[in-house]
Amino acid sequence: MTERIMSHPILGDLPHKEKVTFTFDDQLYEAYKGESLAAALLAQGVRTLRVHEETGHPRGIYCNIGHCFECRVNINGLDGERACITPVAEGMVVKSGKVLPTTVRDWRKHHGK
Amino acid sequence: MQNKTMIVCRCEEVSFDELVKTASENNCSARELKLRTRAGMGYCGGRTCRTMVDQIAHIHQPRSNNDVSLKYQAPIRPVRFADLGEVK
Repeated sequence: MTERIMSHPILGDLPHKEKVTFTFDDQLYEAYKGESLAAALLAQGVRTLRVHEETGHPRGIYCNIGHCFECRVNINGLDGERACITPVAEGMVVKSGKVLPTTVRDWRKHHGK
Repeated sequence: MQNKTMIVCRCEEVSFDELVKTASENNCSARELKLRTRAGMGYCGGRTCRTMVDQIAHIHQPRSNNDVSLKYQAPIRPVRFADLGEVK
């Protein structure tokens, strides 16, 4: 399933492009070579790229120009990579951001402080 | 924490309501507002919400000529230490 605009009233039909595959959270996805990771995932209907480290609320594309770091994901083991300005490459391994442990606050909660 | 109507700082998830409440209760400067709420101290380094945090603080405590606004920390964009001089 794709959410791409295949036929645009002004730009015309989408030209045929070379395809690459990559994984996002262990699931295989197809993308056009050279397009941004954020665009490739959006075209597949993936809007949540990570969750907030503390609250777990979903995060995705916000500024889409590499300014706000809202779309940061782990790419091939590197944390904090911006999905919106990273071109998709064949065999890329992408992981979404997860909630991080807050040990001090959790300890307080369980010890009635 | 739950009923967050409008988020100003997305990195630290600080809402407009929280900022206005903190600013009005403490009559604080932009810097104090930032330190109290953590707005502008997240991953992006205040790049997105800095001017808004500044504005909210200035509504409650007009800025004097001696005050400085919240600043960027060099470098302008976050870079990896490896990019600056990794020994290969």
